[in-house]
Amino acid sequence: MTLTQKRLVILFIIALIAFVMGRLAVRAMMNLLIGGTLFGGNFL
Amino acid sequence: MSGTVKEKRVKTVPIWMGILTFALAFGAGVASKFVIQPGWAKEYSVAWSDALGTRRIDLPYGDGEANKFDLYLPADSGKENYGLVVYLHAGGFTAGDKSGDVEMLSWLCKKGYVAAGVNYTLFAELEGGATNGASVLTQSEEIRNAIPKVIEAAQKEGYPIDSMAIAGGSAGHALAMIYAYRDAGQSPISVKMTFGAVGPSCFYREDWDNYGFDRETEESYQGAAGIFSAMLGELLSVEEIKDGSYLEKMKPISAAEWITPDAPPTVVAYGVHDRVQPFKASVRLKAALEKNGVDFQYFEMPHSGHGLQNDHALYKQWMETVDEYLDSYMPVK
Repeated sequence: MTLTQKRLVILFIIALIAFVMGRLAVRAMMNLLIGGTLFGGNFL
Repeated sequence: MSGTVKEKRVKTVPIWMGILTFALAFGAGVASKFVIQPGWAKEYSVAWSDALGTRRIDLPYGDGEANKFDLYLPADSGKENYGLVVYLHAGGFTAGDKSGDVEMLSWLCKKGYVAAGVNYTLFAELEGGATNGASVLTQSEEIRNAIPKVIEAAQKEGYPIDSMAIAGGSAGHALAMIYAYRDAGQSPISVKMTFGAVGPSCFYREDWDNYGFDRETEESYQGAAGIFSAMLGELLSVEEIKDGSYLEKMKPISAAEWITPDAPPTVVAYGVHDRVQPFKASVRLKAALEKNGVDFQYFEMPHSGHGLQNDHALYKQWMETVDEYLDSYMPVK
């Protein structure tokens, strides 16, 4: 695997984690306002 | 520029790329939470179009500025009789408008019902600490007065009503339940069913732990007296809260207290972690429906709060059940 390929894989992993964290952040904010659990139920 | 500095800059490029990727993907994740809705939800959230029928907006039912309703009349106007579904808006008794329920009302109209969104005078604080006199009690009385006018208006438009359901969300659900259980006997048309979500149905202090009213402290008693007084529109003393005698006074706005074996079939949904209205009150509502042998469906969303936002699968089941109950108790002829 070339260095560029490695970097692309890392960027993809970062994007995936950030996307999930973005959804979790909204869920956490909603839960704070109106109640709810951070995990469980519909995915994220 | 020296070679070392240039080399350092080149080395930091991947780091900045990583930070930028994180920021963009994080933003996309946030946006996706608002934009992407489950496919099934679209079935119950219909955009209004003239193909669905006719709308009459802001028809008056009283002298108050807010005493107005919207009527959604289905396209097929040739039937002998129609079922009416009244849907009351949410907003904590202090905010909201019937225009916020266009999609729900359009769905009901699409199903073939005459649908009505009814506004009511919202509680407001005026300058100097006074209020405008609105309370849950006056709002429930406004709804009671509105129903005959809604039926009359539909009749005038050529849509005779022979059955009705009343529903709502949150505050609107509380008012819908009050009408269904307290006022249905006075309704000009038989109330066949009621449905809704997250509406407070009774005022046992110990249930209101989301506001800390379950605690045996002076602050808790005062808090309960303040909020319950505002909801009732009558001053309750701390002593009445302490000795429990306030409960009898709260009865006119405590829907669960009016449930009898004659109560209409009911479909309700509540979030276990609700911070806005007490989940424990809904358990009491369920017990009252069970005790009186009412045909009901009670949906408990174990991961959700007031928005029923974290349990899509159960939310879908709830809406499907509402649909089934409507088809069963108010079949479109």
